[in-house]
Amino acid sequence: MNMNVPHLHLLLNHIPTIGGAAAIALLIIAFVRKSDDLKRIALEATYVVALLTFPAYMSGVGAQQSLLTTPDVSQTFVDAHWDAAIFTFTLLQLAGAFSWLALWKWRRSGRWPTTLVTGVVVLSVLSFATAARTASLGGEIRHPEIIVSGQTGEEAQGATDAQAATDAQLDTDPGWISGRGLGRWITDKVWVWPASEALHFIGLWLILGIVLIANLRLLGFMRAVPYSAVHRMLPWAALGLAINVVTGMIFTTATPDQYGLNVSFLWKIVFLVVAGLSLLYTTVFEGPWHVDAGKEPPLRVKIAGATAILSWVLVMYFGRMLPFLGNAF
Amino acid sequence: MDPFLESLQQSALARFIGESGSLLGYPTILFLHTLSLGTIAGLNAGVDLRILGFGRGVPLGPLGRLFPIMWLGFAVSALSGLALLLTDPVTRLHQPVFYIKLLLVALGVVTMQMMRNRVFRNPSIDSGVLPPNARTLAVVSLCLWIGATTAGRLIAYL
Repeated sequence: MNMNVPHLHLLLNHIPTIGGAAAIALLIIAFVRKSDDLKRIALEATYVVALLTFPAYMSGVGAQQSLLTTPDVSQTFVDAHWDAAIFTFTLLQLAGAFSWLALWKWRRSGRWPTTLVTGVVVLSVLSFATAARTASLGGEIRHPEIIVSGQTGEEAQGATDAQAATDAQLDTDPGWISGRGLGRWITDKVWVWPASEALHFIGLWLILGIVLIANLRLLGFMRAVPYSAVHRMLPWAALGLAINVVTGMIFTTATPDQYGLNVSFLWKIVFLVVAGLSLLYTTVFEGPWHVDAGKEPPLRVKIAGATAILSWVLVMYFGRMLPFLGNAF
Repeated sequence: MDPFLESLQQSALARFIGESGSLLGYPTILFLHTLSLGTIAGLNAGVDLRILGFGRGVPLGPLGRLFPIMWLGFAVSALSGLALLLTDPVTRLHQPVFYIKLLLVALGVVTMQMMRNRVFRNPSIDSGVLPPNARTLAVVSLCLWIGATTAGRLIAYL
């Protein structure tokens, strides 16, 4: 099998639309049936869709880089798709974050936080709408067969000329509500990048510290501590993750050329997905939750604890290797 | 002092770390520096947040077992930092922000040990009663690690 990043994007880009729709369907069924189990599954599904949107979005950044040198591809179409994708990504991450927080609260109290769950529903519906629009704009990038306006060859040529003019204009002033515009704003302000770097490292240790404490307990260390008590600290790791998603987006939006096709970044995203899944496991699953004070964790919980620590360390490793294994900086 | 620093920079060890192009040289040492920063600052932050009241159900006593791991983190951090310094001592030792970082790290480690001695080695720890200055130490510790991390990052830009 021979697969490159743009090809990967064509597979993964179905996750935010089809996966998002499935999660919304689950949410609706859960409410109609008033089933707590289904609510939990629907919120978990929303979180997983948000998580898998990372490889979907980032492989798109790679595809964008590959298309920069393709002569018959209009950058205007690519940019329109990118701008819509940033919007969808943001909404889906918010839906994922709300889902996580709702699941965390439910695990602690056995009740669903109404405001948060309502927030998840609203954000999921909005993000499905923007995901559909993103998909549609993406499809227009290089599928002449779906352009249905009945253009003659001459009209199409006129459109191409107009497109070239627009491309040239975009090159000078992208407007700030766009990937290119945000990127320019970030690189123009000298303080934004260093400040984001500092925050990214603070987020890094916040994640690692809390993940270490929680998962060392799941490995059998500090046995007098009930897991449900360290569980109370997990939102601090989630805060670190939120800081790093925002600052990470600042980096990739400003200089997509450093990340899109960087092999180290690809691995970083792979292990970010694994780490995100392990965070979900340690937040809501029964295994870790029932590791009471003095109790030796069962083997599968220990494996999960080791996986959590290892995957975060690998996220950091491949982040650090961006300039060495790949082309960043 | 500069001829000495330059001779350091030209030493075989410094040249292996900085110029060999081996993944085991500069890149791995930089990763170890990041991992150990994450361990020492992150575990400190976890303990500080507990002291400040997040996760009151976590008994303090067992958290004391994290301090040896923090010290291990500090050892790796200091050694890897020294190795990184070796590759470019002339630039680094003329950067004010580098000294600010060293100062903040030193204060952070002192605060960490004060926390260990006054809170975690206090006989009353198992009763769950915190000594009066525990919260102050926790806030100071958080500020110092945020400051040290920021100063460390700024070394690359200032």
